[in-house]
Amino acid sequence: MTHPLFGRKGAGALALLVAVMLPLLSGDRYLLHVASLIGTYWVLIIGLNLIVGYMGQLSVGHVGLFAIGAYTVAIGSGVHGLSPELALVIAGVLGALCGFVLGVPSLRLPGFYFAMTTLGLSLIVGEVLVAQRDVTGGGAGLPVPGFSGPLATPSGLYLLVVGVAALISLVSWNITRLMWGRAMVSIRDSSVAAAAIGVPAGRVKLTLFTFSGFTAGVAGALFGALQSYVTPETFHFDLGLFFFICIVIGGKGSILGPFLGTVVLTLLPEVSASFAVVGHFLYALVLLFVVLLVPDGISSVLRWLIERFWPRPNPPTHRQLDLPLLASALRSPGS
Amino acid sequence: MLTVIITGLAIGSLYAAAALVYNLMYSSSKVLSVTTGHICMLGGVCGAYFIGVLKWPIIAGLLLSVAIGMIVGLLTEIVAVRRIVARSSDHLWILSTLAFGSIIQQTTLLAWGTEPRPFPRLIPQDYSAGMWDQKFWLPIVCTLGLAAAIHLFMHRTMYGKLFSAMSQDEFAARARGVPTERIRAASYAAAGGLGSIAGFAAGQLTYAYFAVGLMLTLNGFIALAVGGIGSNVGALVGGALLGVFTALASYYFGGEYQQTMCLGLLMLILLIKPSGLFGTREARPV
Repeated sequence: MTHPLFGRKGAGALALLVAVMLPLLSGDRYLLHVASLIGTYWVLIIGLNLIVGYMGQLSVGHVGLFAIGAYTVAIGSGVHGLSPELALVIAGVLGALCGFVLGVPSLRLPGFYFAMTTLGLSLIVGEVLVAQRDVTGGGAGLPVPGFSGPLATPSGLYLLVVGVAALISLVSWNITRLMWGRAMVSIRDSSVAAAAIGVPAGRVKLTLFTFSGFTAGVAGALFGALQSYVTPETFHFDLGLFFFICIVIGGKGSILGPFLGTVVLTLLPEVSASFAVVGHFLYALVLLFVVLLVPDGISSVLRWLIERFWPRPNPPTHRQLDLPLLASALRSPGS
Repeated sequence: MLTVIITGLAIGSLYAAAALVYNLMYSSSKVLSVTTGHICMLGGVCGAYFIGVLKWPIIAGLLLSVAIGMIVGLLTEIVAVRRIVARSSDHLWILSTLAFGSIIQQTTLLAWGTEPRPFPRLIPQDYSAGMWDQKFWLPIVCTLGLAAAIHLFMHRTMYGKLFSAMSQDEFAARARGVPTERIRAASYAAAGGLGSIAGFAAGQLTYAYFAVGLMLTLNGFIALAVGGIGSNVGALVGGALLGVFTALASYYFGGEYQQTMCLGLLMLILLIKPSGLFGTREARPV
């Protein structure tokens, strides 16, 4: 038996800690930016993962809520002079509110209808951003002020992103482990069976959709601060598809899988300039391959690999018959 | 005012054509393919390329555009539908057709460019005709023609009968010796061809523009949901309704909120009559 700290979980946590600190210690500004970007996307994707990966509701339009978060910071602190930290919180609340308003009618709809409604949301947000020229700056966009104090530096912002991501990861990990997680998976696998055993499907869906709206709003605010300028072009439908693809290739019902998906897909266009040109084409190709070949995503491959090369110590399945214990049990019935 | 309604009918007929394509694919596979709008878009882009850029005769451009549409429709079936339907998994087809549609869109974007480009004139006519311009009546006539052709095919020919047998009960049709696999492939190829014709005819209205695909995927679906999935009459009525509704709405409230209006109409219809205007109620899966 190894010490619990050096077991599988301990090793995983240590590896994650090293990976998180690496961009900070390397001193490479570009690496830090990319790492912050991954963290920002991850904040949104955790929330979306609950909806897509655990609950099986195919939302492709979270980029709309993401845009709302980014524009909240741009307008709130850039135009009206609120403190960016306050704007961050408001962005989350506004994202949650919009998620709630969208969720009330759309979550009742079956699969394809729901996907089309969320697609519609992302197009609507794009339309409004261009149309409301006086508020959002139209197609030209708006500058976003950075955070103040120690958070103004790139490494400060990175630490903030990591902190928020870690906090929301913890929350959603707890959600998936406990009663809520079971309810979500039951809704995904059979909504009729879920209703029959008394899972309040509508309420669970709406609550988690609102939560995912919150994370999308916060992620949008962080994204705005990171990019320091937002235009409607940034929040194209393709970005929403990107979030969605990260989760699908990661695999349903997993947190580690979508995390790996986010890291890999964000890094992919950064590795080479020729990848950047065909970026979205590549994403679509990856999605098609994953859906056709490994429909359960890379997390299933990962799980298989871990079980293969690093098996959990199985409890012995055969037990020797303990004759004296049996005899004593038979001798004194009722004790 | 009449101009507004004509514009609405013209764009609505394109939505209706997309809805017909959805229907044709749905009838043989129970799949609502996200590639629908992209195939229609390809018709317009290919037409503009062959006739506008390469200066081919119109008929050659049309035939090749239709052929490309049919090939892409067939590819949709082979790549994104066949294996998924055989596996009969939950809504996996949304993902596969979404991925394939995205591939079509990105390929068009890389090959054709991000800007909308004009579609050449098909019939010699000067631009002073106003509301009788060919860009309005061409898509309307084309969609009505396509709907009539589908109707005749379904009701008057042997293959049409096989089609409807399969759409009513695939298992029973198979038991009676209907080659369901081949019919599904044929329906996707036909749907691709139809979509391509519709996109070609409406090219002067929409321009040859890659983003038309996603817009048609969404609005064609809304037209279909408003009219009722599975009903061709519903597709026509739904498309016309959606087109006129958005045209009137943008006439009164400004043109920036078209997508908002479309989605609003969808929500309204789903609230009042979830199965659509001409749809049949499906049994609840218990």
